[in-house]
Amino acid sequence: MAFKTYRGRVLVEGTAEGEAVVVDTLSFYGDVDPETGVLVDGRSISGRILLVRRGRGSTVGSYIIYSLKANGKAPLAILMEKSEPIIVAGAVLAGIPLVDSLPKEVFEEVKDGYRVRVSNGLVEVIG
Amino acid sequence: MYLTREEERMFDGYYGEAVSLAIRVIVKVGEALGAERLIRVKHVHVSGASYSTVGEAGRRFIVDLAGKGAKFRVYTTVNPVGMDTEDPNAIPYAIITREYIRGQNDIINAFKAMGADLILTCTPYYTYIPDKLGLSVGDHVAWGESSAVVYGNSVMGVRTNREGGPLALMAGITGRTYYYGMHIDSFRIPTIRYVARRKPLDEAEAGILGELIATIHDDEKPPLIEAVFTSDPALRELSAALGAAGSIAMAYIPGVTPEKPPQGRLESIELDEELKRVVEERAPNETPDIVFVGCPHASMSDLEMLKLEMKKYSGRPKSKILVSTSRHVYLEALSKGLVGELESMGVSFIRDSCLIVSPFARRGVKPVVATNSFKAYFYLRKRGVPVYIAGIPRLVRASYGG
Repeated sequence: MAFKTYRGRVLVEGTAEGEAVVVDTLSFYGDVDPETGVLVDGRSISGRILLVRRGRGSTVGSYIIYSLKANGKAPLAILMEKSEPIIVAGAVLAGIPLVDSLPKEVFEEVKDGYRVRVSNGLVEVIG
Repeated sequence: MYLTREEERMFDGYYGEAVSLAIRVIVKVGEALGAERLIRVKHVHVSGASYSTVGEAGRRFIVDLAGKGAKFRVYTTVNPVGMDTEDPNAIPYAIITREYIRGQNDIINAFKAMGADLILTCTPYYTYIPDKLGLSVGDHVAWGESSAVVYGNSVMGVRTNREGGPLALMAGITGRTYYYGMHIDSFRIPTIRYVARRKPLDEAEAGILGELIATIHDDEKPPLIEAVFTSDPALRELSAALGAAGSIAMAYIPGVTPEKPPQGRLESIELDEELKRVVEERAPNETPDIVFVGCPHASMSDLEMLKLEMKKYSGRPKSKILVSTSRHVYLEALSKGLVGELESMGVSFIRDSCLIVSPFARRGVKPVVATNSFKAYFYLRKRGVPVYIAGIPRLVRASYGG
């Protein structure tokens, strides 16, 4: 049974379940190592559910998302409050489930390490 | 989103995997922005062609796409790459390894396989492209080079958003982009006026004005800029600055922008004082190691101006004078004897590339640079290079130790 559920808008369909890693704003170019999936702050987004409230920065970001997938270091899903073209393009190209228009609270209530299940637009915190 | 029958067929894979992938990406991005439909584009200009800017990730993406059989359905041209393709050593202070050349050539060959015209310039508007494609006011295009986006929307009156990274590529493969932003009349009407009318502005001043506006303009609509620009290069440098220091896609410039002026009174911001202060602050006060002209790529008029100014001095300049331009303009200048004249006075040319998108000064020694380009100033400083900015006459004077 879910502890809490949220609903967002599906931009790239898919289901995933895993540990959350929460970031406020992210530029994939510069903030993420495409070879390892490790953020500049040392946390890994590889094989996790990435919650990122907003995207920013360079247009090369789409290429980084694509590269993470090709290197087997991509996040399982990306959950956002507001998406932007760079991340949408990257997620579509890499086939990574992407949900946006999630309420802002999600990014405060969900903490690193929470277990999250994503099923299209439905986001459930399950542990 | 509404799709035509043809677009639905693209979406469903009738034209193959690459087209289907490309239109899905455009539709998704368009939906995320709230676009209701797609629009056909007449020309695509792809940015992100340098191995230095897109890196290994970008190389792999572009090569994979070509491997999937992707072909451009609309005339597609390509931005500068990380080196002069005929002379990889043309750029000083740049370490170009064999691996680098291999990576860069992979990208170039992939674009070629997809059917691109490899003009390798950030100023497609200075080549045969506008005439060849009959680009005219109101035409929808998809350009990825931010400086060309602003020049196109503001000076030529074509319509394009800032099509970053792979999106311009996708537009080339489908011939479509999302109908949003600069493609729509209502997004092109300015609401705020910026004024700098004390004196006509040269290209260095125009670039700095662009920076000042880009840092304060916080509106989805274009800024209106009331100033007198002395030359086409000044409009180019203004455009480049607006695109580099901010995320502006268009400026409305009375007397230049070929669209109807806005109605009613606009909020007005005076910039003369600040512009004067910043211009003085950044002018060269030592002899630079390098004088750099051609960001965005130089036009014939820049070359003429450089020649005119250099003729005022005798002997060789103390600085290395570098000009980056498209192969197209280079060949035109060559045929008119201008390349030979400039070379004999101590000028070196970089074609297909420039200091910004190459490995120039990314590591090792940081030479002192003086340039007439705010965009070059902006990016080189991020690299730790000391940079001055001034118009060509002042740059030439500095290069002779004045």
